[in-house]
Amino acid sequence: MNKRKFTTRSWAFGLTLLVVSYLVLVPLVMLFYASIKSTEDKLPFEATVTTLSNYALLFTSPSTLPILLNTLLFTAGSLAIGLPIAILFAWLLERTAIPARKWFSALILLPMTIPSLLSAIAWIQLLDPRIGLVNIMVRAVLGMKADTGPFDIYSLYGMCLVQGLRLVPSAYLMISASFRAMDPSLEEQSSMAGRNIAQTTMRVTLPIVRPALLAALIYYIIVVVEAFDVPGLLGFTARIRVLSTAIYWATHSEVGLPDYGLASALGMVVLVMALILMWLYHLLTKHQERFTTITGKGYRPRQIRLGTWTIPAVAVCIFYLFIAVILPFLMLLWTSVQPFYSVPSVDAFSRVTFEGYSSIWSDGNVVRSVWNTIKLALVTATASVFLSIFVGWCVVRQKQESGFLAKYLATVSFLPQSVPSIVIALALIFVYIRFPLPIYGTLWIIALAMTTRYIAFSSRTTTAALMQVHGELEEASQMSGAPWLRTLRKITMPLLAPAMINVFFWVAVHAMQELSMALMLYNPKTIVVSATIWNMWQNGKTADAAVLGVLLIFMSALLLLGGQVLSHMRGKSHQ
Amino acid sequence: MIYVKDLAKIFQGPKGEVRALRGVSFTAERGQLFTLLGSSGCGKTTTLRCIAGLEQPVEGEIVVDDRAVFRASDGTFIPPEQRRMGMVFQSYAIWPHMTVFQNVAYPLSQAVSRKELKERVGRVLDQLGLGNLSDRLAPNLSGGQQQRVALARALVAQPQVLLLDEPLSNLDARLREQMRFELKALQESLNITTVYVTHDQEEALAMSDRIGLMHDGVLVEVGSPTDLYLRPAHKITADFLGTSNFVPVTVLHGGSQTGDEMSVECSIGSFIAKRSVEWQPGMPATLFFRPEYIELANESDTAGMKLNKGTGIVERVVFLGNSTDIVIRCGETRLRVREHPARTPAPGKPVHFTIAPDACIVFPAASDDRKIVSSKEGER
Repeated sequence: MNKRKFTTRSWAFGLTLLVVSYLVLVPLVMLFYASIKSTEDKLPFEATVTTLSNYALLFTSPSTLPILLNTLLFTAGSLAIGLPIAILFAWLLERTAIPARKWFSALILLPMTIPSLLSAIAWIQLLDPRIGLVNIMVRAVLGMKADTGPFDIYSLYGMCLVQGLRLVPSAYLMISASFRAMDPSLEEQSSMAGRNIAQTTMRVTLPIVRPALLAALIYYIIVVVEAFDVPGLLGFTARIRVLSTAIYWATHSEVGLPDYGLASALGMVVLVMALILMWLYHLLTKHQERFTTITGKGYRPRQIRLGTWTIPAVAVCIFYLFIAVILPFLMLLWTSVQPFYSVPSVDAFSRVTFEGYSSIWSDGNVVRSVWNTIKLALVTATASVFLSIFVGWCVVRQKQESGFLAKYLATVSFLPQSVPSIVIALALIFVYIRFPLPIYGTLWIIALAMTTRYIAFSSRTTTAALMQVHGELEEASQMSGAPWLRTLRKITMPLLAPAMINVFFWVAVHAMQELSMALMLYNPKTIVVSATIWNMWQNGKTADAAVLGVLLIFMSALLLLGGQVLSHMRGKSHQ
Repeated sequence: MIYVKDLAKIFQGPKGEVRALRGVSFTAERGQLFTLLGSSGCGKTTTLRCIAGLEQPVEGEIVVDDRAVFRASDGTFIPPEQRRMGMVFQSYAIWPHMTVFQNVAYPLSQAVSRKELKERVGRVLDQLGLGNLSDRLAPNLSGGQQQRVALARALVAQPQVLLLDEPLSNLDARLREQMRFELKALQESLNITTVYVTHDQEEALAMSDRIGLMHDGVLVEVGSPTDLYLRPAHKITADFLGTSNFVPVTVLHGGSQTGDEMSVECSIGSFIAKRSVEWQPGMPATLFFRPEYIELANESDTAGMKLNKGTGIVERVVFLGNSTDIVIRCGETRLRVREHPARTPAPGKPVHFTIAPDACIVFPAASDDRKIVSSKEGER
């Protein structure tokens, strides 16, 4: 007669708990520990004195206030640009009868193929005060005498522009989901009461999605606060430091040795801010179900006819796609086919050469970084898929038996969402520099950092997908005599396949584009494409950076396309 | 044979503990179709899931064919995949990514050879009329077909026990009736011990060898369909099955108290009824009889009778096709009567009626509902 204690299932549960706790909590504890050690030029493990001097330094230093102020302005500015656009598109594509809806909804996600780093580079080409293309054209058109301006990308508003535009695709995804989930009868009731479209939208639609918008606002505050690529590239020249770049420069300063104590103190500040914001976000999204429908019968909310506004609306969409995707990409492409950077002109056109694309492969660094990037993307994506399956399963199916532990797992696996990438990377340096695993200086530590960072997204996705899978489907397998692993393999995983595909490709694309963690943790042997581009740019090798950038965009686009094709094929075969 | 004793199960609800099962005990004999009947939330599905092993009770024991699959006292618990039972879920739980053949073959595919698998699965599919659907993908089946696939899958490994959780509730009325007969015929031909859960009393009465009525986590009464309908031992049973008339009465002093009869008095008149409770003179009680046992009569027919009769005004008549549902007002009391359409009086007319003593049962008054009649093995 067996006792119910140690089944495969409970082993898997325990192991998942351990792994996730280890991945998420150990770095955080280490970060805190490092911030209270006086390090200066020593590593946290070598330092002996426990002190709050790092924090004291932080709070009394004259450069702290500007950093905080810049972070605040940068965040506010980016959100002021990005969120309204995202809301507008969400409304246009979900609630109005705008033509070519399906096309626009797909195309609006295109900016995701262009890494923030490359967006920043492209916009530098466009808005550099002296040689930026847009500036040159405006000067010519307006007949200005000066040879700089009128726009300067190396400024706070320049940074806000690029970051704001970059936010739109994912903010759109988040906000359109809540527009879609709205109960259409709430609006219909307003119409029945005699209100016209504008009044209904203002007095019914917007207030209903307001909690979701507020939640999205809070979520993206965290995203922008921890963003590194744009402020890293633009802020250096502009001498504008925000929290995320301050952490990087504290450990990679050009003068003196890395100050890990200061960096950790900064990291703790960002972490606490992000945790508070994430908690607020949770409070807001807990009660969202109040206004949603269980769309078993597929009710479509009423489509608002745009009439004379149709053309302006379509024009706005096309304009966005132009400045967010087409223009930057063309700039990069242009730069990559010029031997040395020059403004487009007849002369310049004659110098177009694709030589850069062939000669770049002779650089050993480049070949190694491409190879590393592919390996990294595959490893991280695979690890994320498997980890998220187990986390998802434990969170959803163990609720009755071990409610507390399941909730704990859900919370801990979502925590990395609030931990800025650069902070994770910093923390992992501390953890692995000596022990416990010999992964410091290898590709594995970068993979670990990324997997940790992406646990939140991947487990959220599988959890949501698993909740759609009726528990009885697995119970029927049990009653048919299948032990737990067989049920997982033959029933659960095939039914989770769409989610698994999503997670795999999303993680792979992000892993390929990720910059801040790679910069903190790489060495010449483990360099990846994003870090190589960064280095090339810092060393003035503009054309090379552009070539590699275009290649990276193609790799991302291929991956995303591959994911879509795979999902589509599976959808077809199940008809 | 399934022997269940003293099952207790507690769930953690949002507001604290919920006692889903309390002291549930019954026996389903070999080859019997035993139905757990009750309204939503009474614990019948929980009991079924405990037998299946999908829930673990906190107390009690479950023994199937001399093998203890659960015993709280020594920590015995055999996981569901080792209990060798077939189960049909309410949602059918057909796997959408597999064909009909793959679904049905699943319980056997590890244990037998390819050839034998094809044979046995083919046989079961034919038996259930699914032979030509073998390669169809599960989602492309109708509700009735899915239900048969679920049944085929449950039976293919030739289990000793079959568990059915409201298998017919998702079907339309006509199909339901047809499947009732088919299911019962199949069960009898296989002689397989079956536990059947439903809230549909017509289904339960039509199909079961024995019915266990559940209410609020307790097994109230067990008996044959006829016993439970005609001679319920408990008021909850009387109330749940069919339509009932409950009249508050007082137990009389003196009068005929022989054997299992007793006399009671109420505003309608005096009645002789079957006892179902220990009585004391003057005690309040409830008189119960079914609408179809009220016989409408002329004044002259009832003139000579002293007991078990009454008079009233017809208040409402509802035509149901094969019968009429009549409401008669007797003073403060309303009685429901079931009558043949041809013999139905018009509304507003005064009527007389009689009720045979055999059709009357006396129960405790409302406050005593907690007293459960559960004998040794839940048998009567």
